[in-house]
Amino acid sequence: MSKHLKCSAVLIFLIIAALFAIGQVHLREGRPHRVTVALVMKSLANEFFLTMEQGARDHHMNNAERYDLLIYGIKDEQAVSQQIHIVEQLMAIDVDAIIIAPADSKALVPVCQRAMASGVAVVNIDNKFDATVIAERGLHIPFVGPDNYQGAKAAGDYLADHLSSGNQVAIIEGIPSAYNSQQRCLGFRKAMDDAGIIIVDTRPALWEMDRSYTTVISILNEHRNVRALLCANDNMALGAAAAVKAASKRNSMYIIGFDNISAVNNELKKGDILATVDQHAALIAVNGIEMALSMLNGEDVDLVCTTPVELVTAYE
Amino acid sequence: MKFKANMNYLLSEGGIGIILVLLFLFFAVTTPHFASFQNISNIFTQISINTIISVGMTFVILLGGIDLSVGSLLALCSVAAGMVMSKGTLSPCLSIFIAVFLSIVIGMFVGLANGAISEKWKIHSFIVTLGMLNITRGMALQVSNSRTFFDFPAGFNSFGNINIVGLPIIFVIALLLVILGQIVLTRTVFGRMLIAIGNNEESVRLSGHNTALYKVLAFVICGASVGIAAIMYMLRLNIASPILGVGFELNAIAAVVIGGTSMNGGKGSLLGTFLGACIMGVLNNGLLLIGLGDFARQIVTGLIIILAVILDRYRNSFSARLREA
Repeated sequence: MSKHLKCSAVLIFLIIAALFAIGQVHLREGRPHRVTVALVMKSLANEFFLTMEQGARDHHMNNAERYDLLIYGIKDEQAVSQQIHIVEQLMAIDVDAIIIAPADSKALVPVCQRAMASGVAVVNIDNKFDATVIAERGLHIPFVGPDNYQGAKAAGDYLADHLSSGNQVAIIEGIPSAYNSQQRCLGFRKAMDDAGIIIVDTRPALWEMDRSYTTVISILNEHRNVRALLCANDNMALGAAAAVKAASKRNSMYIIGFDNISAVNNELKKGDILATVDQHAALIAVNGIEMALSMLNGEDVDLVCTTPVELVTAYE
Repeated sequence: MKFKANMNYLLSEGGIGIILVLLFLFFAVTTPHFASFQNISNIFTQISINTIISVGMTFVILLGGIDLSVGSLLALCSVAAGMVMSKGTLSPCLSIFIAVFLSIVIGMFVGLANGAISEKWKIHSFIVTLGMLNITRGMALQVSNSRTFFDFPAGFNSFGNINIVGLPIIFVIALLLVILGQIVLTRTVFGRMLIAIGNNEESVRLSGHNTALYKVLAFVICGASVGIAAIMYMLRLNIASPILGVGFELNAIAAVVIGGTSMNGGKGSLLGTFLGACIMGVLNNGLLLIGLGDFARQIVTGLIIILAVILDRYRNSFSARLREA
């Protein structure tokens, strides 16, 4: 090792050691501890999570004396490692509770388990952790969210009223490993099977609008007789609507979405999207926060808190 | 003379180290929890995957090439390894061994394809690896049927939680690869050849060396590093998924560029790349603790990358003036 390198290494080591000391002093001199709740959401590019964020902020404004709120999101639906980083850092800053909508139902379990082991209360919202992984690790994580299956089935039943037995449809999934995507697809399938409607294709578009657009263009080329597209979220429904317009099939195609984001209001009004499902994003966040606060107070909480879903068929 | 030598040193790796220390200092003073032991351990863990990928990326960029397929390749390697380990038909030890071997071999094979195609048909690696990015992502989704694998042997999952002298095992492995890479780059004929090709390929070729072989080997090394990174990532997440690694290629390129490796090739070091990965890790961690939103963090990170390249330009011209003086 050259003299330069040795000097630099010693210097950097000394500075970092001093900074460690500063950090420890900081920690000891920290402000009196208040209950800190962190909301960790998925893609902030999805309006659904912006509504959720606003709901959390409104609740905090009315309950500022009860807790401090931190809010985090990730850049897109697939940034799994980024969400893991966020949870790790929340453990480092000693938050009391983490309310998480996991980007992946399995990948976030280990880090949440570590958070729970370090004394952080964890509440799962919106997208349920995988039951097998949870059971395998002997965890009990309360879930706050909608009954995705029932919501999707209601939308599917409504679509079935507009189609005939034997008609062909296609399903656009979110991230296939996500529990909410699986449940919504199961709900869609059940409704279609009950009505004798044929599902000719099921493809993932990873919750994203542009992926949905290219996926639907491909489906329309491959299956000329498809009459409807059942999309597992509204972003993908908007992508599907754009693809249907591009293929000049606007008047012969029904599209179903899920989430009831404001961007679909116009599409509903114009008839480009037949129906969506409102799952009250703000309420999910509020119930999650309240459940976390109850856990921190040592109260017993239900392992499942189902929030309402509502079929929306026209802009009101 | 001594002053000039010191200044030249400070303007190379030393300069990046100073930026890293200043960043660390800034966050340590402004953010109470930043310098806590747990958070430092978090930073070590968080920079490990990017460091391992960046090691391979440095070899490619030193030649004036680029590899855009590393993120998607990581997903393909992880899915292949995950399928082997989650089948449950093999004994745990054997399945882990095969999974690690398979991941590295797939990485090397894709690297070989990248290098061979760009050399055989003289297509810039940007185009070849852009195509490979789509091929590997598609293959990852195809072979896994878009599903996530998670039921790995307990020994594999617990290995990722091991600490050596307080350092996470993943970080220790990343550090060893940086050291190994630096030795290959500075102490072997192969390493010196790569730098020489990056500086002037034609003169190396005219001196009777097979430049194509060295270039293909650089891509193979990059692929192997991705194969190792995929296993490390699985140790960290305990899952394998075809949607992993999105955007990792850009993080690796950023770490290499911030570390002072020239995009035109011929100049750079793995120590610099490691410091570049550290700067990115400290930046991401610190900005998050300060409470900056994800979008603002992206803006700041982008600005830092551009700033690093601009500083690199000034550093080169100042260094050249010092040598002439």
